[in-house]
Amino acid sequence: MTQPTETLDPDAAQAAIEHCYDQGWSDGLPVVPATQPRVDEFLAAAGRPADEVIGHSPQVDRSVTVELAAINAVMAGCRPEYFPVVLAAWEALMRERATNGGGWQSTSGPAPLIIVNGPVRNVIGLNSVGGAFGPGFRANATISRAIGLIVRNVYGIQPHGLEQATQGLPGRWQICFGENEEESPWAPLAEELGVPGDAVTTTLLRTCEYVDNRHTPDPEQLLYDFADTIGRSGAWIFKHAMAGVVFCPEHAQLLANAGYSRADVAAFLSENAGRTTAQLARAGKDFANDFGVRFPGTAEDPDAFQRTMLPADPKRMIIAVAGARNAGISMVVRYFADWSGTAVPIRTAADAASATSASAAAAG
Amino acid sequence: MPNAILDPTGRTAVEASEPATVRAPRRGALTGARVGLLDNTKHNAMLFLQEVGRLLVDEHGAAEVSIVETKRSFSVPVDDEIVARYRKSADVVVTGVGDCGSCSAAAVADGINFEKAGVPAAVVLTDAFTTTGHMMAQVQGAPGYEWITTEHPVAVLDEEQVRERARRLLPQIVETLTAGGAR
Repeated sequence: MTQPTETLDPDAAQAAIEHCYDQGWSDGLPVVPATQPRVDEFLAAAGRPADEVIGHSPQVDRSVTVELAAINAVMAGCRPEYFPVVLAAWEALMRERATNGGGWQSTSGPAPLIIVNGPVRNVIGLNSVGGAFGPGFRANATISRAIGLIVRNVYGIQPHGLEQATQGLPGRWQICFGENEEESPWAPLAEELGVPGDAVTTTLLRTCEYVDNRHTPDPEQLLYDFADTIGRSGAWIFKHAMAGVVFCPEHAQLLANAGYSRADVAAFLSENAGRTTAQLARAGKDFANDFGVRFPGTAEDPDAFQRTMLPADPKRMIIAVAGARNAGISMVVRYFADWSGTAVPIRTAADAASATSASAAAAG
Repeated sequence: MPNAILDPTGRTAVEASEPATVRAPRRGALTGARVGLLDNTKHNAMLFLQEVGRLLVDEHGAAEVSIVETKRSFSVPVDDEIVARYRKSADVVVTGVGDCGSCSAAAVADGINFEKAGVPAAVVLTDAFTTTGHMMAQVQGAPGYEWITTEHPVAVLDEEQVRERARRLLPQIVETLTAGGAR
């Protein structure tokens, strides 16, 4: 793609970009106009049929094909080798209850959280260390943007139209990073979910909230700081509200050195994140049945502790590691709804070809 | 020739063609009519609908509230199976309350689906979701479809306020469901 700069035509580029704006195809930033040769490079990188349907919105009865995903990935600024990651992220998102349940249209305006594991991080230059939540890195910025453009352009779910975000949230269509496997004390996130190597884990986030604790060497004190953030009443709509944590290496290592596994961390937080009935009553949220939203109750048993998260299944918490090892600053990632608890393998054209030859060999 | 710029939407203006009229035949009055209620799960929706149903029976001669269901997914428009159940059990349908991003759009699609199946429907949305309602009507190929709008919000009203809201919207609901509401 590299040309001597004197042969490049910035005026033609500008005109093409403006054309895309005029069609309503942009999320606000300039898009890269997609051409068939460029899209073909993307399709070749993924090795999947162009007309394969990879998503359907029952709300608007519109479908996403691999080719439409490729066009939008080109427009987002991806390189061809990112496209298998885009497809895996999309597939992972399709496993989420909320993406099939009106999440893209919601007043909450949720954002995909896209976490990538495996060697592919280094192959495509996906940032997993300092500033993991962005910006500054092409792979991180464009893979997440591609997802947003697919929703916008293919489903036609756009702000002020079918998308009804009251305020939305900072980082929507921008949160994609590698897990910092090199400095994580735990196994890679996707590997713990049964998918070793290159894989994507994702859910829809309602927001991200930092916890800055450079104050204690005690693992319980550290975790109580997270429990407090997870437990705040404002984030509670229904009986429970789910969240995960993206730990910085320093926090993760402190916990691991004290003997905490991912499951231990999740168990501690699900047990200790919450508020008393009296605290919730002050916010008009003390009563919850199993079905509907919380509302003002009678504040009976004011000292009873209500847990924010479902107590039964700590495996429903995403516990990942990302960021630099330069401070004790981590991120609570609050789900819009819940998380599928799964990871999706990233498959390139080479993987598809070897799978085909392997099955041919097995058949022979 | 330079390469063409590709369209990322997968739609080529086909959807704008031939807007369908979607309006089921109306009866002159609700006397003897069986009323179906479809609750979209949103807070206060069921209470509102039950109160409307009661008033239609008590004050407008409707025979009964004959079918009440709660949507399994508030964001997804009703399918043929649900529409068929209502067509079998009810002469008119009242649904809502569209009080959120996806459920309001879906409620508009529900109303259009009932009308297409020959069942007059009154759909209630709050006034915060007028634009998304119009967008969905376009997606459904019925850009002129109309519904009943009420002040936002409904979810935070107390029980008495919800009943009052039902009482206030009743004339519009009756008009929508009968020939008097012909547009």
